[in-house]
Amino acid sequence: MDRFNFINPFGVRYQPDTVAGDFYTNNFAKKAESNTIILNLGPQHPSTHGVLRVIVELDGEYVLRAEPVLGYLHRMHEKMGEVKTPWQFLPNMGRVDYLHPIAWNWVHVGAVERLAGITVPERAEYLRVISCELNRVASHLMWWGAFVMDLGGVTPILYAFEEREKINDILQIVSGSRLTISYFRFGGVSADADDRFLRLTAEFVPYLRQRLKMYQALVTDNIILRRRLEKVGPIGVDMCQRYGATGPVLRAAGLNRDTRRDIPYSVYPKFDFNIPTGPVDDCLGRYLVRLAEIEASLSIIEQALESLPAGPILPPKAPKPTFKLPAGESYFAVEGARGQIGLHLISDGGKTPYRVKLRAPGFSNLSLFAEAARGTLLADAIAILGSLDLVIPEVDR
Amino acid sequence: MIKAIIDNIKGLYSLLVGLSITGRFFFSPQKTVHYPRQVVDPEILSSYRGPLELVPGEKDPAQSRCICCQMCVRACPGHCLTVTKEAGSKAPAAYLYDFTYCCLCAACVESCPTGAIRFSHKVYLVADSRQALHLDLLADLKVRASAAPASESAAAEQTGT
Repeated sequence: MDRFNFINPFGVRYQPDTVAGDFYTNNFAKKAESNTIILNLGPQHPSTHGVLRVIVELDGEYVLRAEPVLGYLHRMHEKMGEVKTPWQFLPNMGRVDYLHPIAWNWVHVGAVERLAGITVPERAEYLRVISCELNRVASHLMWWGAFVMDLGGVTPILYAFEEREKINDILQIVSGSRLTISYFRFGGVSADADDRFLRLTAEFVPYLRQRLKMYQALVTDNIILRRRLEKVGPIGVDMCQRYGATGPVLRAAGLNRDTRRDIPYSVYPKFDFNIPTGPVDDCLGRYLVRLAEIEASLSIIEQALESLPAGPILPPKAPKPTFKLPAGESYFAVEGARGQIGLHLISDGGKTPYRVKLRAPGFSNLSLFAEAARGTLLADAIAILGSLDLVIPEVDR
Repeated sequence: MIKAIIDNIKGLYSLLVGLSITGRFFFSPQKTVHYPRQVVDPEILSSYRGPLELVPGEKDPAQSRCICCQMCVRACPGHCLTVTKEAGSKAPAAYLYDFTYCCLCAACVESCPTGAIRFSHKVYLVADSRQALHLDLLADLKVRASAAPASESAAAEQTGT
């Protein structure tokens, strides 16, 4: 029986347009094969980490096609960049990606500094590196907990939150906020690190190293997790390059690319850090790469704390909130927890920029999901979605 | 075949390791703070950003340092400040603050030439209506000045309430 052409017992013809829901589902259903199920994942499904909606066509348990539907969290950040002065746009950056706000702070501040030719004092650069890496660790910890929870292990996220709370406490000392941090200013940072910040950070590094050993024994070596992730969702270099995926997804595929080293910015060239590259390109590989990145970040924090220079945190003529951008354009890219973050700033010399373009790594990483999920089990598709480390506000912007 | 059996035994052992870790944490003391009975360490809250408040003047704690230059109003991304001037003087007639629009970004605090505004540390602020979050900061300053005359014990007073 053709599922699109039958009459029900009440004499009503089955009409997919009136039954199956909205435009996206109907459009997706046009290409459906017979005897398949079309399933809506989200936008309120907990495994989609926010309000991502994925429409999948299922043959039994197998995914034939998948299509992400975006836009539920679109907040016009790029447009807001055009109507607000650069200073007023600063707090927006923390809201774009709430798990790694400091990298987004950095990309905006960096683009403005490049355009206006502002030099940053060295102490401010070191504080930027320390806070950004701490934030990256917090982001990876949050991902770790959420990913294992996607796979059915509820306990680990509680351990991850304990560490994350410690990082939040540390970052709150200098930035005043715990989640949507707006710490950077044009030319430097908003507050100097006090003794308590430095002491807590120095204590935190060895503490987390101990905890990472516990994570290894509790989750990474666990046979259930290994069998659940091994050989699931291979994403090769070729697929990454076609979709523009960056960050841990690309590095797990085997390509050693990191903006911190390839397009050096700030004082990163002064540090000796390891860029982990995965031995395997499946979900387990991406899992291991992220855990190894936590260790790399910790070593950067340690080196930065050792060589933290004294001095001012803002240049003598730091821009005030009434600061006007000179005409011109600039691009700045940093390595966020999810990949390369970019900001293209065009100014015509007016009060507000002419155009602000945000390059969100999550958007590119999500686009390869449709291809990676084809032919997998539905439960494995959820594992692939989790291993991409999506933050939906960043995808939708 | 034998390899598969050894793998499975190793896998079972990994489960036991995990259970022993969970068991150890089960018997360790709780780390969460049970709010009404316990409160967070005030040292952590010393950098918390609560709603804005006016800094008391040096001579008269009921008098604001504000000179109505409108820098904060212009810097604010959320347009949540309204400052009106008294005729014939620099003192503000009203300093209205809409906390519902505030994103606590510190643009106003950092743009103020006289250092007249700062963040309070009111962590346990609760309101049951939107109107209650439209704050009149001058009135608030007067209340605080009458509550704690002369000595400005800011830190002690702020973290408690």
